[in-house]
Amino acid sequence: MQFELNNVDKVYQSSEEIKVYGAKNISLKIPEGEFMALVGPSGSGKTTVLNLIAGLIIPTAGSLKHGDQDITSMSLEERTKHRLDYMGFIFQDYQLLPILKASENIEFPLQLKGLSASEIKDRVEWALKQVGLEKMGHRYPKQLSGGQQQRVSIARAIAGKPQLILADEPTANLDSKTAQEIIELFKKLNQEFKLTFVFSTHDQRLIDQVRTVLYIKDGQITEVKNNA
Amino acid sequence: MRSLAFLIKFSYRNLWRAPKRTIIMVLSLSLGTGFIIWDLNFAYSGSKEVMKEFLSQYAGQYHITHPEYYNKESRKRFNNYKTITDEVIEDKTLLEKSSRRVTAPIFISGEKKTLGVLLTGLEIEKEKKISTLYESVNVGRFLDPNNRKEIILGKKLAERIEVKMGDEVVVIGQALDGSVANDLLTVVGLMDFGGGELEESLAFTQYESAQELMAMNSDTYHQRVNFELEEETLPQFKNAVATRWDEILPEIGVSVRFIDSLTWMVSVIIVLVISLGLSNTLMITFFEREQEFQSLNIIGAKTSWITKSLMIEVFIMGTIAIFFGAIIGHLATIYCYYHPINLQLFTGGKNIIMGGMTIQPLVRLSPVMSYYWQVPLMIYFFLSLTMIYPLIRVIRRSSYAI
Repeated sequence: MQFELNNVDKVYQSSEEIKVYGAKNISLKIPEGEFMALVGPSGSGKTTVLNLIAGLIIPTAGSLKHGDQDITSMSLEERTKHRLDYMGFIFQDYQLLPILKASENIEFPLQLKGLSASEIKDRVEWALKQVGLEKMGHRYPKQLSGGQQQRVSIARAIAGKPQLILADEPTANLDSKTAQEIIELFKKLNQEFKLTFVFSTHDQRLIDQVRTVLYIKDGQITEVKNNA
Repeated sequence: MRSLAFLIKFSYRNLWRAPKRTIIMVLSLSLGTGFIIWDLNFAYSGSKEVMKEFLSQYAGQYHITHPEYYNKESRKRFNNYKTITDEVIEDKTLLEKSSRRVTAPIFISGEKKTLGVLLTGLEIEKEKKISTLYESVNVGRFLDPNNRKEIILGKKLAERIEVKMGDEVVVIGQALDGSVANDLLTVVGLMDFGGGELEESLAFTQYESAQELMAMNSDTYHQRVNFELEEETLPQFKNAVATRWDEILPEIGVSVRFIDSLTWMVSVIIVLVISLGLSNTLMITFFEREQEFQSLNIIGAKTSWITKSLMIEVFIMGTIAIFFGAIIGHLATIYCYYHPINLQLFTGGKNIIMGGMTIQPLVRLSPVMSYYWQVPLMIYFFLSLTMIYPLIRVIRRSSYAI
């Protein structure tokens, strides 16, 4: 099932007169297996588009669909459940829970899904293996490097076998070498498991590797570039 | 079930992410709980021991009388013409545990002065077994069961009518047959009630002597006083009534209830103050984690899950604190069982006088089991109140974005 934004506007209105478009007339289809980057300067609206796709914010106009499900008409709790069921998230600053070990952080969304103990164990092991941290599961986030923490964050995002992974500036806090390794990991996951990725990024190395690049300015898609 | 276990694990780990802060919160709640349990035990044991001491001297736990003996509006007034016999008491075991008394409002005269007092005829041997009245005689001796012509007076009464040990006094009253009752009795003892008002209004003589004075049949009397009340409910009779001490002495009953209520009120205020402090700390703790709540929500944790985890966190903290608090309170109570508290600490060394009698001031604390669930319930209740505002803030901020 693909994610779809049709003529979506998001208006931030601070008063009657002042209206700011976070997103303007955005139409976008994200097919399965897509490897896409939203690119633009700060304040261009790429994070707003990411939030719209995730259902974290509701469009002022237009529709947001996942297959035949209308995300815009869902309640707050339904959208949270929808994210849990179909999406994975990767953050710039990893957002791992410091009180949980790496494996428990990966386990967290699986517990929320109510999976069985054996399935959770299998998935955590599989996710740790995919990010190359098979032997680091028992460590707490503070005992891991930045790159390793981002790998745990990726493992957490993929463990639930989501249909879409949204990543907000995933390489921004990493050194050049680690960033490159993480980009290679994203590519591997996309190619091997047909996982769908949408990045919001400034990182040219990542932009060069994605299949589709959407340039956003003042809340509008100004250019679509296909790298393939 | 697994999800709940994970939720509890998550909450427990969160509780210890700032260990010093948590320890301070647990400690304050534990000490508060401990103090409240100790304080309630102290108040209960204090009033129980003081009352036991007071009632065992003279008043007794309850009186069995003719239904019309005590005035219904005020037990201070009584109808001396209403008597009973042992036949009205079906449960004969009560006869062993209680003592018969004859009461007579009389005038008592020394050589120069006369005063109106209450003369009580006592079953001397029985009273010695079940009451501590005889211990109040500090000059002379208690009554001789074989001598009908003896009287003991309150010390102040003797001073007021200017009589001393060995003097003869005249007692005059109205007998139940309407005749003038009078007798000449010898003072054999003076009673010291610590200077209270009973010292100038009570006189005691032998039971048969009082019966004779009042022209009563040998099997009739006014009160059967029982010094034990094993259960809260009073025994029932067909032709008599049992009246509890707190009806006979309502001012003392009210004082005891007031002390109990005041202790609970102080306990509630203590918990309230601690709760306000905790509320503030919880608020800081929750707000510090706001970004974390955001990422939890983004990756799929519903607001209800987040609030549940916070509630469990506070519940776990409360349970740990209450557990240790109960232990602290219990140990302090047990300590004060072996090392009784002298109530004179609170009176500047002065005697404690209740209902006109001096009370032995040592209070030996004993634990009251009901406090060990009532206090935790109260603390859980206030902890729940404590959480409301911080949780509302979390719920209101339930819409998160990257």
